[in-house]
Amino acid sequence: MPFLFQSILNGVLAGCIYALFAMGLTLIYGVLNFVNFAHGELIMWGAYFLYLVMEKPISLPLPFALAFSLFLTALLGTGMDRFVFRPLRHANPLTLLIAALGLSFLLRNGAQFFWGAEIRTYGFEIKRGFRFLEISITLNQIMIIFVTVVCISFVYLLFHRSRLGKSMRAVSDNLELARVVGIDSKRAIRFAWVIASILAGVGGILLALDTNLQPGMGLINLVKAFAATLLGGPGNLWGALWGGILIGLAENLGVLVISPGYKDAIAFGIMVFMLLIRPSVLFRRQE
Amino acid sequence: MDLFLHLCIMIAIYIIFALSLNLEVGYTGLFNFGHVAFFGIGAYTSALLTLHRVPFELSLLLALAMACLWGFLLSLPSLRLRGDYFGIATLGFGEIIRMVFQNEVWLTKGPMGLPGIPKPTLFSYRFATLHLYLSLVLAFTILTFLILRVILRSPFGRVLKAIREDEIAAATLGKNVLRFRIKSFVIGSLFAGLAGALWAHYTTFISPGDFTLLETILVLLIVVLGGKGTEWGPVLGAIVLIFFQESLRFLRLPAEWTRHLAPLQQMIFGGLLILLMIFRPEGLIREKGKILNAGDKGDQ
Amino acid sequence: MLEIKGISKSFGGIQAVSDCTLDLKDYAITGLIGPNGSGKTTLFNLITGSIPPDKGEIYFEGVRIDGQLSHEVASRGIIRTFQFTRIFPKMTVLENMLLAPQHQTGEALWPLWVKRKRIQKEEKENLRRALQFIEMVGLLHLKDQFAENLSYGQQKLLELVRALMVEPKMILLDEPTAGINPSLIRKMMAMILKMRESGKVFFIIEHNMDVIIELCDWVFVLDNGEKIAEGRPKEIQNNPRVIEAYLGV
Repeated sequence: MPFLFQSILNGVLAGCIYALFAMGLTLIYGVLNFVNFAHGELIMWGAYFLYLVMEKPISLPLPFALAFSLFLTALLGTGMDRFVFRPLRHANPLTLLIAALGLSFLLRNGAQFFWGAEIRTYGFEIKRGFRFLEISITLNQIMIIFVTVVCISFVYLLFHRSRLGKSMRAVSDNLELARVVGIDSKRAIRFAWVIASILAGVGGILLALDTNLQPGMGLINLVKAFAATLLGGPGNLWGALWGGILIGLAENLGVLVISPGYKDAIAFGIMVFMLLIRPSVLFRRQE
Repeated sequence: MDLFLHLCIMIAIYIIFALSLNLEVGYTGLFNFGHVAFFGIGAYTSALLTLHRVPFELSLLLALAMACLWGFLLSLPSLRLRGDYFGIATLGFGEIIRMVFQNEVWLTKGPMGLPGIPKPTLFSYRFATLHLYLSLVLAFTILTFLILRVILRSPFGRVLKAIREDEIAAATLGKNVLRFRIKSFVIGSLFAGLAGALWAHYTTFISPGDFTLLETILVLLIVVLGGKGTEWGPVLGAIVLIFFQESLRFLRLPAEWTRHLAPLQQMIFGGLLILLMIFRPEGLIREKGKILNAGDKGDQ
Repeated sequence: MLEIKGISKSFGGIQAVSDCTLDLKDYAITGLIGPNGSGKTTLFNLITGSIPPDKGEIYFEGVRIDGQLSHEVASRGIIRTFQFTRIFPKMTVLENMLLAPQHQTGEALWPLWVKRKRIQKEEKENLRRALQFIEMVGLLHLKDQFAENLSYGQQKLLELVRALMVEPKMILLDEPTAGINPSLIRKMMAMILKMRESGKVFFIIEHNMDVIIELCDWVFVLDNGEKIAEGRPKEIQNNPRVIEAYLGV
């Protein structure tokens, strides 16, 4: 029984991280109406940036390292948009997708080029744990929940209480109209990328803390993030949150029943299942 | 000379692989980003069967059948999806298949891979040498090209293009869009499986690491570089890119460099895709459709 | 021929079509008019199966067709054109036309190998008819151009003759004369009248009242998703309710 509770806890923890991934992905989808196939690499580089600024020769102390690495991640995200996606804003969707795929490939191999394919860790994970009602939880993991809650509250405030948030919502509703009405769509878009990148970066760092760093970590997390956005409804921020948690739970409860080698496939399975039973927005029979 | 033969064989195999993806992406407009899965299914099926003493003719046929079957099974739930969702679904499927290759050790020997795949014997004729193998592969390549050409130039091919261009218009003219898409996808999977099988018997050792996203990116790049939606585009693309990729492999470089060479080469592929999409999405060979005199545009 | 009974459709709270009943009987050319946003195109979409109705039934030649898929409805002989032309851009004019005939033998896979003669024969016949139609609307010199290179008016003509290639029983035209110059309008109307002589049936959405008056035997008027009037064109023109709908927007 405690085994079950432990799995549920682990599931919620993993789910928090997936929620961060999914929220970033769905934000971009909501504002620009396309699935960023390179989002996984944004996550991955977010994690590697921290590694980079903490190692010699830069060796920043933790708080500065965090801030700086998130800054770099945001730079990468806005750079992606500026140099790859913006020129293709009005192109054929297939063209855009292929470019995104190429970008993800470029970034993934870029990481491998600089850091090799070996698995790395930050080296400062706090493994100290507590036992509570026969469930163990480490400080790391408490932090994950805390950070996630902070991020979500921040995003909420941003979206529903600020002007920039309103303009992002306007742009997501109707880009042309927003432009006509005078909303600075460029700024709103850039801001959306900053937020999405920071969410990806934070998520990536948390994931790397919980597991490890490797160049290939982007792809499978893209699939999970996507599954979560599907669950929650594309473009729906809060849906992405619940979607992420659900995927995390499904994974951790699922491995109680199926082989651990397929843990990563659970998210995909959920996605396929969802696609089979839910007809709505996803399907083509539309005007 | 051996290098030359090796290049030709690889190019020929990749032409088949690229032609199959071109049918789906270039002609039907399907964003299939998991095509490597069928390449892998064809490879593993043929390899496993021949390793268990099943004659090559039968193994090959079964490999094609498996590729087709899985193509069909994947297409049913996912072909109703919007473009980018379909892309993710196929991408995910490609990863899942790789996981299956990796995890089902009892079947595929997992990460250790399958060594010693026998050279094919067709009608008691053993294609053991490079020359012979090249002729075998070339025969299949030419056959594939001709079969696909008949299909693409037919009314069937025309409907595929229409679906690519505007599926709603095609549907309102009476075309069963879903059915055509499924057919296109299954045929594409079949030929991908063929390419995979031929590749397995050539390299004689396969492992799950051979069937990753890299392969999909490579074949996608071949198709779009050469010119998607054209007959010769994939051929040209395969020649250019495989030549580039394989030559790099044969360069004599100091050991420290090779560690960086593979990711660097792949970075170039990724970057090339991006540049291509921004500056020349049609690729090298364009689809034919005359512009000539813009003055024809008068309303009379 | 086409009978619509009590059709309703709403989109997230907005009632696009509300309890509409229309009977097209055996009028050769029927018109559908109404202010912008009155639900005309939605009605077309409901007929052709692009969207399913919330309520009501649609009968074509006595058979119920509501809720069927687009290609099924098209198979029954109802073909439509679109308000913003949907020609196939990266296919030539000729290819656009050759695509149109339904149930071509060459569209299935096995016949490609075993019924080659028959396919060739069909292609030849389709080519002949296609060229005939293209010539009728003056597009012969453009037959090998990508459809996207045609002017807007030319595309509209192409869409019309492509629909005719299908040999449909009924053609739904969504604003066929919108955005094209007067002489092209004449051309299009002449084409429609000519086809009417060969027994084709039309259902036309239009804003141009001259076109309606000249072509239509009967007209339905929609406003805010409801049918507010029907009758001969001249009657409709003078109907106060109709005038109010157009002016009081």
